Amino acid sequence: MARNRGRFLVLIAAALIFSSALASSIFQPISDSHRSAALELFNPLGGSFSSVEKTYEELRTFEVLGIDKRSDISTAACQSVSEILGSSSSTLKDLFYALKVNGILQCGIKEDVFEGVASRLQAIVGGASALLDFYYSVGGLVLIKGQTSKDDLYLADAEGVFRSIKLWTTLAWNSPTLSRALLGLVADVALSQSDGRWRYNSNNPESSTFAAGLALEALAGIVSLSSSEINQSLISTTKNDILKLFDGIEKYDDGAFYFDEKLVGAREHQGALSTTSSVVRGLTAFAAVTSGSLNLPSGKILGLAKFFLGIGIPGDAKDLFNQVDSLAFLESNTVSIPLILSLPATVLSLTKKDALKVKVNTVLGSNAPPLTVNLLQVLRSGSKDTSLIESQELKFDPENAVYTLDALPKSVDVGKYTFVFEMVLHDSDHKNLYATGGQIRIPIFVTGVIEVDSAEIAVLDSDLGSIETKKKIDLAGENTVSLSANHLQKLRLSFQLSTPLGHAFKPHQAILKLTHETKVEHMFVMGSSGKQFEIILDFLGQVEKFFYLSGRYNVQLAVGDAVMENSFLKAIGHVDLDLPAPPEKAPQPPAQPLDPNLIYGPKAEIAHIFRAPEKLPPKKLSLTFLGLTLLPFLGFLVGLLRLGVNLKNFPSSSVPAVFATLFHLGIAAVLSLYMLFWLKLDLFTTLKALGFLGAFLMFVGHRILSHLASSSSKLKSA
Amino acid sequence: MSPPHRVNPQPLSLSPRQPKDPTTTKMARINFSVLTILSVILLLPVLSLSFSPDSPSDRRLLVLFDDLSLKSSHSIFFNSLKSRGFDLDFKLADDPKLALQRYGQYLYDGLILFSPSIERFGGALDLAAVLDFVDSGHDLIIAADSSASDLIKSVATECGVDFDEDPSALVIDHRSYAVVGTEGDHTLIAADDFIESDVLLGENKIELKVRVLNVYGFWIKQAPVLYKGIAHSLNAANNLVLKVLSASPAAYSANPSSKLSSPPSLTGSSISLVSVVQARNNARIMITGSLDLFSNRFFRSSIQKAGSPKKYDKSGNEQFVAELSKWVFHERGHLKAVNLRHNKAGETDEPAMYRIKDDLDFSVEIYEWSGKSWEPYVANDVQVQFYMMSPYVLKTLSNDKKGLYHTSFKVPDVYGVFQFKVEYNRLGYTSLLLSKQIPVRPFKHNEYERFITAAFPYYGASFTMMAGFFIFSFVYLYHK
Amino acid sequence: MARTTSSDAQALFHSLRSAYTSTPTSLKIIDLYVCFAVFTAIIQVVYMAVVGSFPFNSFLSGVLSCVGTAVLAVCLRIQVNKENKEFKDLAPERAFADFVLCNLVLHLVIMNFLG
Repeated sequence: MARNRGRFLVLIAAALIFSSALASSIFQPISDSHRSAALELFNPLGGSFSSVEKTYEELRTFEVLGIDKRSDISTAACQSVSEILGSSSSTLKDLFYALKVNGILQCGIKEDVFEGVASRLQAIVGGASALLDFYYSVGGLVLIKGQTSKDDLYLADAEGVFRSIKLWTTLAWNSPTLSRALLGLVADVALSQSDGRWRYNSNNPESSTFAAGLALEALAGIVSLSSSEINQSLISTTKNDILKLFDGIEKYDDGAFYFDEKLVGAREHQGALSTTSSVVRGLTAFAAVTSGSLNLPSGKILGLAKFFLGIGIPGDAKDLFNQVDSLAFLESNTVSIPLILSLPATVLSLTKKDALKVKVNTVLGSNAPPLTVNLLQVLRSGSKDTSLIESQELKFDPENAVYTLDALPKSVDVGKYTFVFEMVLHDSDHKNLYATGGQIRIPIFVTGVIEVDSAEIAVLDSDLGSIETKKKIDLAGENTVSLSANHLQKLRLSFQLSTPLGHAFKPHQAILKLTHETKVEHMFVMGSSGKQFEIILDFLGQVEKFFYLSGRYNVQLAVGDAVMENSFLKAIGHVDLDLPAPPEKAPQPPAQPLDPNLIYGPKAEIAHIFRAPEKLPPKKLSLTFLGLTLLPFLGFLVGLLRLGVNLKNFPSSSVPAVFATLFHLGIAAVLSLYMLFWLKLDLFTTLKALGFLGAFLMFVGHRILSHLASSSSKLKSA
Repeated sequence: MSPPHRVNPQPLSLSPRQPKDPTTTKMARINFSVLTILSVILLLPVLSLSFSPDSPSDRRLLVLFDDLSLKSSHSIFFNSLKSRGFDLDFKLADDPKLALQRYGQYLYDGLILFSPSIERFGGALDLAAVLDFVDSGHDLIIAADSSASDLIKSVATECGVDFDEDPSALVIDHRSYAVVGTEGDHTLIAADDFIESDVLLGENKIELKVRVLNVYGFWIKQAPVLYKGIAHSLNAANNLVLKVLSASPAAYSANPSSKLSSPPSLTGSSISLVSVVQARNNARIMITGSLDLFSNRFFRSSIQKAGSPKKYDKSGNEQFVAELSKWVFHERGHLKAVNLRHNKAGETDEPAMYRIKDDLDFSVEIYEWSGKSWEPYVANDVQVQFYMMSPYVLKTLSNDKKGLYHTSFKVPDVYGVFQFKVEYNRLGYTSLLLSKQIPVRPFKHNEYERFITAAFPYYGASFTMMAGFFIFSFVYLYHK
Repeated sequence: MARTTSSDAQALFHSLRSAYTSTPTSLKIIDLYVCFAVFTAIIQVVYMAVVGSFPFNSFLSGVLSCVGTAVLAVCLRIQVNKENKEFKDLAPERAFADFVLCNLVLHLVIMNFLG
């Protein structure tokens, strides 16, 4: 995130000429929000941590932040510490962290356990060739030294330690360069690099800044363990190395310094935070055990503090530990202790008569030594040259530990300013001890209510410039102005803005917005001369831009600025524009996004409309006509009787009479079959039956008809 | 892993005879030895294990950073994802080993681009690869900020939103900025113009516990969301993209430190702060111009909107982002429709064909993926269409609150090949599109109504003609 | 003038009637049968005009049954008329057999279509 912000700032800086005001950010020291974050981050496992390293990180963080949670976990932690220290198979890393935990918790480990561990560590120191082995074992020895009360008990076995230390120093002495020597002594390997960085072991060609931090810490341990004075040239070469290391420091634009791991593809990638924190640990440890100044510029130490503070509250337990631990080391370091000047608020309101408050703390938020804070300059942003005020001292309120400036200088109007502060330490001895960072530039926003006056809107006739309609508007209240204009006319909107001190004010946002019914928007930036803001819209020149869209345009005015407390967006009313019809190939207004509710949402239901059933006639009518259709049949029968039909031709002899009867019965049967067919039978049954009946009918029909034919021909011939 | 019926290529597990893995195909072609085939077959179940559809625990997300410190500064967001069962893989965006797929198989189910300033991804990842990833139904979150690179902007453009082209512009709002003592330039915005959608923002977006009536008498909904970043607008031609969080009408996008000379290109509510896209393949995308939106700092920050007396102890960011990410990763609003059934009224079997004017029952079951299981989906606006060229019947289904939707209607008196169609497109939900074809026939000739009173005269006439014929034939034949 | 027309018509009618009396009774039976069919058809058409064409198939079969009957009867009349020399070689019994067969087929079709 810090880097991210850095990028953002680079960008701003590139884009702006007067970016210096923004580039110096405010860093807040560690506060309660860190404490609650720590409780949150370290809580998830409920005290039982997966490794002793994590336990140490938790304890250390809590210790630094002053949170008393020791009792919650001490039992479990001490148990695992004594297990680790008592076991001969525990790893070096675990031993190291167990000792660290013990350093905080005072678990009451027996002296003989320490002895065993110490002898083991000494053996490792003797045969170590990798940096981490050195780091852990030397670190462990230092911790044992600090934790065992009886020095003599330790001394009894100190010879071995001494031997290894001696081996170091003598070998180092023989090496051509000291930096190389300090490790080369032990295992004929050169882990230190010419640029101040170190390698993890001789087989790994990559040099690492992270490793440099570890090495410095290990060296500090060796120095503190050694009983005799370490050769001074050895120390000074190491100091030189530290300076070289600081040459490779990287910088953000907000004044934060940090170290980053340059090597790629290391076994374990260390981020900027852990790298920087490793260096800080090594540096402070080394500075603590050596006498004499390191000649490090205090600005860089302050920059490192700013880097850690600039991270804010990390969301990761490891990061929080690194941040808090490093800040704790910085707070108590012997090079220079950074002091952080912070402002609770950089936005000051003239209306509320906000007082300028400044706090000075150490990085962990404790009070600074007695000092005076001076406000040197107040610069209007954009014009770097002259200060608006004389240098003045801020009043110290010892109760709240706040430096205040009761009233802002009279000449300070609303606007963006850069305030330049300076800290002056009262005690001259402190001047070397503390890093104050010289002149501190802080951007300040002074806000106030801007007076809006004499606003009016008018429609002008184009050629004459005469005013057709003119309306006053009240930009503080509601307005519903209704105007109409055609393309030969102009719209004029004007108002005045002035600051509380009566100066002209130019807001960042002064935009006139015309919105057509179809949501097509047109915006115009209002220009100003002095206090007067005016815009004249000549519709003749705008018809193309307005896409020849006639109709109602809503007029809105937006005036706003970062320092304007009464920024507003006001609907003024509407203008009915009468624009000429668009010519062919006129540009089309841009498409507006569809309302999602039109796309989504249920559709209207559709019910199928069935064909209406046929209108049936009344039953009576049908029956009447049924009767009518039967009438002709009756007429037929009556007619037959009237004609006097007889059946004399019916064969008289029995055989033809039988055939005749059968023939007519057959016809009747076929017709009855048809009736049945109509009522219920299907076509197949019917045709089957019809086949039989038809054959029968053919037979009898043939017999009777041939009989009749022969009888009639007989009659004829007779 | 996404819910089951998402478009998800599983070629390896489904077609062992035609492995799509290029290397195995090649091997098999060159040397058709038993060993090769065996190894391929043995490999298949192993590879397909990660695609178990009903286990959301193996949903893998790739998170790309410009800077690994984001992992710590945005840890609350990541932890909430982890606690919901996601498997997060953090990588630097220029990591030379980046790849979204291996052997044609996607390694991740979602991609989170928290690397606004990356000009060129490392490894095999590029714009086309990201778009292919989305085209194959995977989800994407893009967070940009003022350092947004052309690459990130072009990914967003492909998704249907356009970031402001001015690289130094930020969203400024002099009316609804967040009141913070140390932020004076009004680029830290308290945005509360949310889209009205429970599925996108969660049903309890109105935090019932802290629901307070403010002095103006309005119900305060969710706490405003802190936003600091760049503006984007929706592409009007793309109607799949939705504005979830809009800027206030007074907002505009400009460089806060230089004078405005020309009207800002984006102003007012047309500025989108957070947008989402649901592609037609149900891939979901979230785009925002503020990376800080997801940061611990914003999550933990208190918020007070300018001009409002109400101060919230906590901004709405955490809830907003958590709810929206649930949507993006298909823990909400992902529907499936199964068991589309229809039958004649009073029967249970599905007929092969309907006759016109039949009464039929239609039912379908709809479930929503909750992140862990399929839960019944309850809504009163699911509709079915009986469709042939155009809908003949369109009816809203009633549901039994257990996911079963049901209705009944009469088949129209038009015959032809119809479809039952369930088209369900709701804001935020995956679209459902089911259809089942069913022919509808006219009445058979023996199914028409018979012995109609109106036809009695005709019947009478026909039968008298028959009778007349009988009598005539008799009389005529034997008359002398 | 009008009187002459009516008297002419009367005279024509009278002569037609006297000519028709000489027609054989069997042909008169056929004529009566045709008239019966035609009247039945007319009544149905009137009914259809009153109530509409539904059910159309029934209407068609009803009317066509009458028309078919009338046509077949007219055919029979032509064939059995002794004065018609065209069919003098055709036995009237044979014509009658044809008539019966055609009628049976006609009614089958009508029944099928009657609905």
